[in-house]
Amino acid sequence: MRALGAGIGLLLASPAAAQQAALLPPYAGVYQPKGVDEIGLWQEADEEERQLAASNLLIRDERLTGYVRSLLCDTVGADRCGAVRIYVIRAPMFNASMMPNGTMRVYSGLLLRVRNEAELATVLGHEFGHYESRHTLTAFKEQRSGTDAVAWMAVLTSFAATYQNVRSFQNFQLAVYGGFYRHGRDQEREADRLGIAYLNRSRLRPQEASAIWQHMMEEAEASASAKGLKKPNFRLIAFAASHPPYAERAGYLAALAAPDGADREDGADRYRAALAPFLGQFLDDQIKLNDFGASDYLIQNLATMGWTGTLWLKRGDLYRTRGNPRDLIAAAEFYANAVKLDPTLAEAHRGLGLSLMKTGRASEAVVPLQTYLTLRPDATDAGMIKMMIPGESK
Amino acid sequence: MNGFTKAVAIAAGLVLFAGAAQAQERSATKQGFELPANSGKKILVFRPSISVGAQSTAGMFEPNGEWTEQAKANLQAALAKAQASLGNTVIVAPEAYGEDAQTLQEHMQLFAAVSDAVIQYQFFVGNRLPTKKRDNKNAVFDWSLGKGVADLPGAKDADYGLFLFTQDAYGSTGRKMLQLFAAFGGVSVRSGVHKGYAGLVDLRTGDLLWLNADAEMGGDVREADGSEKRVHQLLEDFPGSTALKAQAVAPATATATATAAGKP
Repeated sequence: MRALGAGIGLLLASPAAAQQAALLPPYAGVYQPKGVDEIGLWQEADEEERQLAASNLLIRDERLTGYVRSLLCDTVGADRCGAVRIYVIRAPMFNASMMPNGTMRVYSGLLLRVRNEAELATVLGHEFGHYESRHTLTAFKEQRSGTDAVAWMAVLTSFAATYQNVRSFQNFQLAVYGGFYRHGRDQEREADRLGIAYLNRSRLRPQEASAIWQHMMEEAEASASAKGLKKPNFRLIAFAASHPPYAERAGYLAALAAPDGADREDGADRYRAALAPFLGQFLDDQIKLNDFGASDYLIQNLATMGWTGTLWLKRGDLYRTRGNPRDLIAAAEFYANAVKLDPTLAEAHRGLGLSLMKTGRASEAVVPLQTYLTLRPDATDAGMIKMMIPGESK
Repeated sequence: MNGFTKAVAIAAGLVLFAGAAQAQERSATKQGFELPANSGKKILVFRPSISVGAQSTAGMFEPNGEWTEQAKANLQAALAKAQASLGNTVIVAPEAYGEDAQTLQEHMQLFAAVSDAVIQYQFFVGNRLPTKKRDNKNAVFDWSLGKGVADLPGAKDADYGLFLFTQDAYGSTGRKMLQLFAAFGGVSVRSGVHKGYAGLVDLRTGDLLWLNADAEMGGDVREADGSEKRVHQLLEDFPGSTALKAQAVAPATATATATAAGKP
């Protein structure tokens, strides 16, 4: 039974491999997809892109999108990046994705987590690697032939459903599915290698590629420890893991980074300037994930390059949202720091006043709340805030 | 990896799922709603969602660009032909840009979600929500997209909006072989997926007036004749339609042999 299954698997897998003739890369000029499968996948992707372009999740900011695009072009080369359309999505997860037709989604959670141009370019190069290697198409063909073999085995097994045969079928099924996940991880490794190769040739410091995964491990640890969970294992590969583990990626990316690139710039200042108008909103979205440890880690990680009013304000929001009495004491302190750095931050005055009010310092709360109302006379909650200030309510 | 998870589920449930989803209602009209023929009402047709492909041996959907393009052209032509029998004027929604496109997109998704809910929780008898039971006569078919539909592009010039959706996966040779082979052993394998639904929405109130959903549609949308049959089936029981029912009978028998292979 097992030998028969393997035979079917081979038989069905071979035509997929044979179809790979010398094709133009998908980013070449106005490339047109070839073959039924590629045309079909592209058409599905085109339809999805149509919906994506009209989606409410899309951040329609020409400057931000243009900035990400110019970074992609600097990384993979101006002759290649032309075929890619970039969509920045408002979603607080660490992710980016690439469709076979050249639709690139960049999540706001990724923009919040990377700290400089080199780190972002690592991810953009990785996604571009998926695209140029036609990974979706390869995976689709592989999954089709794999599941086909499983379907035949299922039917054959049901004809003679002895204990032994059912056991062999289950093993076969697990092996096939495990293979899909394993090959998926191999695709990620290949995309990582392509990404770091692009970075090695770019104007940016390739050593930063490994830093992303270092930070992801630190964030996961901070998240786990705030929840009272034990430290995650960053080397373990789960059966259905879609990506290689963080530690492995950090390791090989560090090893593959060109040593002579170590003294190149990382573009941290330019990146901070580009992200600044969005930082508050992205942090708000992150805080709403209700992952205290991770959010606090992210804010502090961003602050390693210097605390700003916005960072103190959002840290205050994070603590005030959790809202234990001790958190409100801390929040009041953070808001006070924010106000010190940027006295025009109306939200910080509001947070400071509300935190003081809740910790029994109502008289001290009056001035910040009044300042808030002076800065934002038309605020939607102006009426409610007025009620908290003695003598203000009518 | 979405497709993969789906494929796993399909392959694993190969034998279990065959033959399910039979006893379902297919269409409903909002109580008290009547659309008399030739009443001069205008119906706005939104961009239909059409996808056509093959079904792999294990049941994975294999998108096919050429078939989808053919189906789009065929269904559009068939829809134009069916207009006359709908008893009212049909206008095609204009292409939307900018913020209009976003509102439209939002409402297309909303319609898909609401229709899904109707199919799941009202048409599927055993799964009916307490507020949607038959004995709850006051408002048996009471669903709405909200008044926002009035702002959709083209809505000002029309009274009703028509949404169309079809999804077809034709059984591949491998799937049919598997089906045939499995049948020898008494195992039932379903080949081909042909789903479609059509809904009519009041463009003033957003209320869903009529919905027709079928998980086992006939008519090969890759062919002109088949597309006409599909449109007839989609618009079956369309309020105010006149000759539609009479017409639907004739092509149904003609194409029955052509699609027999695609149905179990």
